[in-house]
Amino acid sequence: MTERTNEEWLADLQSDSDRQGEAIQDLQNRLQRGIFYYLSRERSDLSGLSTHELTQMAQDMAQDATLRVMQNLTSFRGDSLFTTWATRVAVRVAISDLRRARYKDFSLDSITADGDVLPPASTLVGGSRPPGPERAAEQTEILAKVQSTLNDVLTERQQQALIAVAVRGVPLEIVAEQMQTNRNALYKLIHDARRKLRTHLETQGLSLDYVLNLFQE
Amino acid sequence: MDDQLRKLIDCIFDAHLDTIIDCETCGSQFNCFAELVAGGADAHDLLPAVEEHLLCCPDCREEYEALLAIVRAENQGLTAS
Ligand SMILES: [Zn+2]
Repeated sequence: MTERTNEEWLADLQSDSDRQGEAIQDLQNRLQRGIFYYLSRERSDLSGLSTHELTQMAQDMAQDATLRVMQNLTSFRGDSLFTTWATRVAVRVAISDLRRARYKDFSLDSITADGDVLPPASTLVGGSRPPGPERAAEQTEILAKVQSTLNDVLTERQQQALIAVAVRGVPLEIVAEQMQTNRNALYKLIHDARRKLRTHLETQGLSLDYVLNLFQE
Repeated sequence: MDDQLRKLIDCIFDAHLDTIIDCETCGSQFNCFAELVAGGADAHDLLPAVEEHLLCCPDCREEYEALLAIVRAENQGLTAS
């Protein structure tokens, strides 16, 4: 296969001759090989799938990615190789699909069973020895403060989002979808929320060291 | 200490998250960043803001690492059929 320059890729993909079909096929093949490499070599969570299944997945993802590349050609700014840009599109398609499949049963509502995101102090402190009564009372009090700060600063839905992303490791993309927002907006929301929470807690005299110390055995 | 509480506290108090760029800004610089790193450049010297965002944002990090892996493999001829 001949390597095209960025200009050649763009010209061929937008050509109205046979060159277009050829270029689309070349692009799709290239994306498929890249995705297949990623799925088979970099994703240990997919190691249970057969080569045939991975090939099929890579093929579907590459087809979808090629379509998106064609729809978004005008947004390529030329600050990287065209193939890197197209691979990035393919990576988004592939990872989005994998995230959706993995979290298909996830619901934000599962984060808060009873309205509070923080469980009671007694369940939080691991370790062999239970804390003395004074320390336990202090822990309960601090958790209540953290919870009430959460309530002051964030809506219940936003608290669910914060816990899902920062504590449970759910991808922003999945949480954003359930909140009917986009990933960037959610990222900013969580970013702002953290800052507010910290300021709020610090004005009440709760420093990181103090809180960590309190819950350390 | 409970792992989940620890994560929440870390997330609230992590001051180093304060100055970072958002996903869109990071994403717009991502492609050439990956190319340079695949070519052997040190990520830390290139675009500190992008690097910092990648450290703090698991979504972007996952996508960046995938892109980097593929670009590297292509450069080394490992994806050829
Ligand atoms: Zn991000």
